[in-house]
Amino acid sequence: MFVMGLFWEYMKNYAKTRLTYRADFWIEVLSDLLFQGLNLIFILVVFQHTDSLGGWSQAEVVFVYGYFMIPYGIFNTFFNLWSFSERYIVKGEMDRVLTRPAHNLVQIVLENMDPPSLIGSFIGMIIVGISWSQLGMPFELLDLLIMTALVLSSVMIYAGLYIALTAVAFYSDSPTGILPLMYNIQNYGRYPVGIFNKTIRFILTWVLPFAFVGVYPASYFLERPGIEGSMAILTPVVGLVFLFIGLAIWNHGVSRYRGAGS
Amino acid sequence: MNPAYVDIIRIRFLMMLAYRVNYYSGIIIYAINIGAYYFLWQAIYGNQEVLGGFTINQMTTYIAVSWMARAFYFNNLDREIADEIRDGSVAIQFIRPYNYLMVKLMQGLGEGLFRLLLFMVPGMVVVCLIFPVTLPTDPTVWGWYLVMLFFSFLINTQINMLTGLFAFFVENNTGLIRMKRVLVDLFSGVIIPMSFFPGWLEGIMKWLPFQAITYLPSSVFTGRTPISEAGAVFGLQVLWCVLLAVPILAVWRAARTRLFVQGG
Amino acid sequence: MSANIAIDVDRLKKQFRVQKNREGLAGAMKDLFKREYTDVTAVKEISFQIPQGEICGYIGENGAGKSTTIKMLTGILVPTSGGLRVNGHIPHKEREAFVKGIGVVFGQRSQLWWDIGVIESFQLLRKVYKVPEAEYRKRLTELVERLKLADLLHRPVRKLSLGQRMRCELVAALLHNPSILFLDEPTIGLDILVKTEIREFLKEMNQEHGTTILLTTHDLQDIEALCSRVIMLDDGRIIYDGNLTDLKTKWSKGREIQFQFGTQVKLPQLEQLTAGLEGVQWKLVNEVTAVLWLPMAVNVSDAMARVVVVGDIRDIKIFETNTDEIVREIYQTEKTPT
Repeated sequence: MFVMGLFWEYMKNYAKTRLTYRADFWIEVLSDLLFQGLNLIFILVVFQHTDSLGGWSQAEVVFVYGYFMIPYGIFNTFFNLWSFSERYIVKGEMDRVLTRPAHNLVQIVLENMDPPSLIGSFIGMIIVGISWSQLGMPFELLDLLIMTALVLSSVMIYAGLYIALTAVAFYSDSPTGILPLMYNIQNYGRYPVGIFNKTIRFILTWVLPFAFVGVYPASYFLERPGIEGSMAILTPVVGLVFLFIGLAIWNHGVSRYRGAGS
Repeated sequence: MNPAYVDIIRIRFLMMLAYRVNYYSGIIIYAINIGAYYFLWQAIYGNQEVLGGFTINQMTTYIAVSWMARAFYFNNLDREIADEIRDGSVAIQFIRPYNYLMVKLMQGLGEGLFRLLLFMVPGMVVVCLIFPVTLPTDPTVWGWYLVMLFFSFLINTQINMLTGLFAFFVENNTGLIRMKRVLVDLFSGVIIPMSFFPGWLEGIMKWLPFQAITYLPSSVFTGRTPISEAGAVFGLQVLWCVLLAVPILAVWRAARTRLFVQGG
Repeated sequence: MSANIAIDVDRLKKQFRVQKNREGLAGAMKDLFKREYTDVTAVKEISFQIPQGEICGYIGENGAGKSTTIKMLTGILVPTSGGLRVNGHIPHKEREAFVKGIGVVFGQRSQLWWDIGVIESFQLLRKVYKVPEAEYRKRLTELVERLKLADLLHRPVRKLSLGQRMRCELVAALLHNPSILFLDEPTIGLDILVKTEIREFLKEMNQEHGTTILLTTHDLQDIEALCSRVIMLDDGRIIYDGNLTDLKTKWSKGREIQFQFGTQVKLPQLEQLTAGLEGVQWKLVNEVTAVLWLPMAVNVSDAMARVVVVGDIRDIKIFETNTDEIVREIYQTEKTPT
């Protein structure tokens, strides 16, 4: 496939670029993990003072945390679009992208790949594995298949959401965009949504559906009763819908850019 | 002081105003943050009355005030300085008749004032309406807090500058900047008050500047630290402010010599 | 429409909505809640056709609408109205198919990867444009040889000089053998040697492969060296479209001949020689040198014939009015409504 061929080519170039700055590589990986570890520290500290968070045990909350890291790492590898507005709109690289015969989003995604983020996914898997055995849950092959499907759906949600948010750069002249502000919100999807009030639960489920990247799909394996467990099944649907919405907003944004220019 | 500095504050203030998507989304996101942490802490407390020396009500106020304070002291000067060093535009700053670091500080202040007036004030009103936040009634507490808030800004900005200036010595300090951000958020007490940390960690924290950014002033504001100790807290902030100025000036000196010797 | 038209532009128009920023703090506060916009027409219904194989210069001052036109022609921007066909495609509609047939170089922006060897960028572009391996090899060898790049191929772009980089940019834009090449300020900031090299190269490409070239430039030397045709733009409108010689004859008011005599000369003596020739003027540079200004209407040979009878002429130089002056002249006349 054409896109896969391109993917490989970009990947090789990425590797060559990174090898020139070897020292930075590890600092970046480390800081990335620390960044994510912030929430794990929060969980660990908090559970020193209580044994349950809205009826969830520490092992369960840590399991959700581990699950979250898997789609998050994959997402970060491919949708490293934080500097989109700066690089492509302000500095005008979008023009170059538009004169090449491949879909513009594909080119941008490939140009910004960040494979070290996958290390986060691996650590997430390890955390999931450890809490799985701590919780004494039985393991079947089917679980692995379902896990894969749910993780992919979660990635789609993340991708759709961030593509839409990145596309804001086409509509607004903000230099930094709102992406950095979103960072904290995504974390709330890792906690049992039952503890939040209706508004926040609604936001985390339907507006910025970060609950589908963390607590809902993870609940499937934890076999939690109540709202969390029953929502897990919806993850793939929400994934498709949000990816579709994200792409639609993106494409509309591109046509707007081409209408307005700079 | 060079009158140009006042203008720099003004221009940054106007720049912030120009990006309205950032403004509107910022208010909403801060409100969600405070709300989410409020419920999170409610769930953590469960049936318990006091945790880490905070009652649940003090905790609610602590969260609201800390997040709002973060809006004021938070800035991206570390990244801005690093970018300007990397693309070489910092060299131009040496030939201008002002102090580069002072300019950066003023830019940060303009940004902070913008958020203070257009973010914190309306945000605080909204938060007080939705959540059971109890604001202090004693005007001396307010007075002390505002002064301490300014020093929170100074200390945080100094830490940002120090991180940003490292770009003179390493080729890519994005990782360092991110690590610093984690440390500040974690150890300043926005996410977890210091007193929740295990004893040994709390002990280390006492010797680091981060707690002076959020934890100490917010504790005074919520009444956990009695007002009689406010002077001591403020003294600690001033001390850190002075201590942090030393490495910044040293790095700045070293960077200048380096720049003059090697050129750009 | 005939088949050998490469670019066909028909009443093309582009309008932008520009946000107005109100002044001061109060203005900025108002802008926070309600924005004001003004419409700016960057390109005002222009029409032209460029046949295949032509090298056409597209000139105009900053903000005249050059870049906007190029961006529409390359499919980056969608026109507000008007017809546009490039290579038989409507650029903004069939973008991906269309861009395979064109090459674009933006002089001020790089299309190469900053940190890795140039050759890696070329490899990647081969994949992007789906150029078959054999064809790519052949093409690359040819281009590398022409532009003398063999030593640079494995160097990272950030270690290249501007001239070296620009030559690599040209290769990057030509690897897929496009039939039309768009160049936006290709020689900006380059030294005279590299400029000449690039001009030579472009001419060869045009002659051997019949590549149609449209270039914008501020350097009229580029135009003189390359273009058979010039389109001049001012404030979104075409103010001149035709070949360079016509441009000169139409707009140039005259030329100058400088004589260096063996003996001292005086002004009345010289004026007497050319008496009867309409509009000529003499000017003494020093005791033995004088300059004769001739209007277009007077033949150079007629004037020469009159002067040479003096005998003892050490040197003669003819100065054509240069294109820079002509262009400046055109702008001035077009701007002051008569």
